[in-house]
Amino acid sequence: MFSDLLNKLNSDTTGSLQHHFGAELWLSVTIVVMLLFRLLSLDRFVPTFIVALVGAAAAGWAAFGQFSEIVAADGVAPLTFFGDMLRHDLFSVFFRIFLALFLILTIALTVLTGIPDNEDAPDFYSLLLGATIGMMIMASANNLLMLFLGVEMASVPSYAMVGFLKGRKPSSEAALKYVVYGAGAAGVMLYGISLVAGVLGTGDMSLMAERLSIVAESGSAGFGDPEVRTVALGVMLVMVGLAFKLSLVPFHFWCPDAFEGASAEVAGFLSVASKAGAFALLVRFCIGLSGVPATAELMTAFGIGLGAIACVTATFGNLAAYTQRNIKRLLAYSTIAHAGYMLMAVAALLVMINSGSAKALTHDINACIGGLLYYLAVYLFMNLGAFAVVALVRNYTFNEDVDSFKGLIGQSPALCITMLVCLFSLIGVPPFGGWVGKFMIFASVYKAAQLHWAMYVVLAVGGLNTVFSVFYYLRIIRAMVLEERPADAPSVKLPSMEGYYVCVLAGMVLLLGLAPGLVNGLTAIASKAGDSVMAVIGR
Amino acid sequence: MQPDLTSYLLVGAVLFVCGVVCMATKRNGIGVLMGVELVLNGANVNFVAFSKYTALGLDGQVFSLFVIVLAAAEAAVALAIALNFYNNHLTIDVDRANKLKG
Repeated sequence: MFSDLLNKLNSDTTGSLQHHFGAELWLSVTIVVMLLFRLLSLDRFVPTFIVALVGAAAAGWAAFGQFSEIVAADGVAPLTFFGDMLRHDLFSVFFRIFLALFLILTIALTVLTGIPDNEDAPDFYSLLLGATIGMMIMASANNLLMLFLGVEMASVPSYAMVGFLKGRKPSSEAALKYVVYGAGAAGVMLYGISLVAGVLGTGDMSLMAERLSIVAESGSAGFGDPEVRTVALGVMLVMVGLAFKLSLVPFHFWCPDAFEGASAEVAGFLSVASKAGAFALLVRFCIGLSGVPATAELMTAFGIGLGAIACVTATFGNLAAYTQRNIKRLLAYSTIAHAGYMLMAVAALLVMINSGSAKALTHDINACIGGLLYYLAVYLFMNLGAFAVVALVRNYTFNEDVDSFKGLIGQSPALCITMLVCLFSLIGVPPFGGWVGKFMIFASVYKAAQLHWAMYVVLAVGGLNTVFSVFYYLRIIRAMVLEERPADAPSVKLPSMEGYYVCVLAGMVLLLGLAPGLVNGLTAIASKAGDSVMAVIGR
Repeated sequence: MQPDLTSYLLVGAVLFVCGVVCMATKRNGIGVLMGVELVLNGANVNFVAFSKYTALGLDGQVFSLFVIVLAAAEAAVALAIALNFYNNHLTIDVDRANKLKG
């Protein structure tokens, strides 16, 4: 019997390792290779960033192989592996490709800006790749244990990366704040997990709703039931941890400080990748709690609560960005606001799947998750583009204030125009990619508003916020285009490689808004990914 | 008398609250990290108690084993960051971390 168990474990592990865990495995191998290269002094001959780039590309290639396999076998049943710990479906594969692509772009950016130097490169790229593995695990988690491990695997390297510029006071302060708040939020989340898992008697996220309806004695989960109250408390504590990762109000305070203290490259990585992983996790967690009639009422209320948090987050982020002088801080508040927009999609999703007519709404539900994924895909390029320009300009001016961008158009048109494209896309002006993403999310919120009036409020606040956000983005644009460059300001050279790099990012933002083939293709894939993640409910 | 589930959960809850209060009130960076450890161990007590008394079974003990390992890893990184902060500021008073604001 024991040998049977071992054999099963062996076949399960080795089979899954290659087929479903390939991307993560490649990244892990790359970390080991990078550290070994330095141990053997091979990094003098082969620069570390090349090893990191090859590893990231291999991970992307492995994920793309999984993607084409799933697309070829259309309608393949999503499966779980490693003893139901992780889930393999189009949704997780989408995030693996997304994260691998983002990793390649981030490594390319760090090579162009020269942070880290040769001595520190193996450490820095190990942390970067390690955090990415954590985010991939977040995107495929099927168990509360993997939820916690994924969040921690993504967070712990991030703390170290924020404090990577060791001698700088702001950097060490940012890292200390991030680690103290982050560890606290993780602890609170773990306590929440212990309550949820304990009362429901399982850590499996796909079984949570079913177990909850069994535990609730009266047949419908209401707050009268002590067990349901305990689970609701646990879910709230778990949400504290997730809200921290997503920088939602009131757990956003670390975000501007960490971004200002960290280098712009790290800030860009945190603002995109860590958000993407956390949103994937949030979607999985919310779907795990939904889909059973007994929990419908409770989860609709939860969705509307998320909608309220989304409104507050978007409004706060946009208003607080007004007074910022440091451009990384300004972009941090913009990140908070965008987390608010994306959370609106999750709120709409919860309202729709817990309505009585969820079956009839299948198409809209898929489109809702698809809209979130599309927004994340555009957000990757536009936000990384903005942070890349900040990092590249910093290398010439040694300054990260909005004022240092004055008259950039006369200095380096490529950087300036990329920044313009990214900012207009962040505002959500057609025809840029950000507009398409925002439109899809607002369309889903509108659909959800047909089911519950509160979502109309969310929609209105979302629309208003788009107007609020125009002003502070326009301040950067005015500084870049209209204002004279002070005579004593250091000049920004006309870059060559950097120019190509940022033009690629700006081009992708444009294409994701303008090229109908690309927009439709990505939307279709994103909706299919939404369909695959919904398979948990088994409608 | 054999203690029941509630008494274990009570211990876990007390640890959790102590940890949160410690995180919120301590001005010393290391003190805050000790508060985090209390919170994590409060959750661990819950996990082990649930694994004995409910359908969670052995899963609960596996949870707590992973948490112990992770707490060690997190403490290592957090202490390194605290040391780096000390090198730059010659203090680990978290109130002195007030340069970044706005």
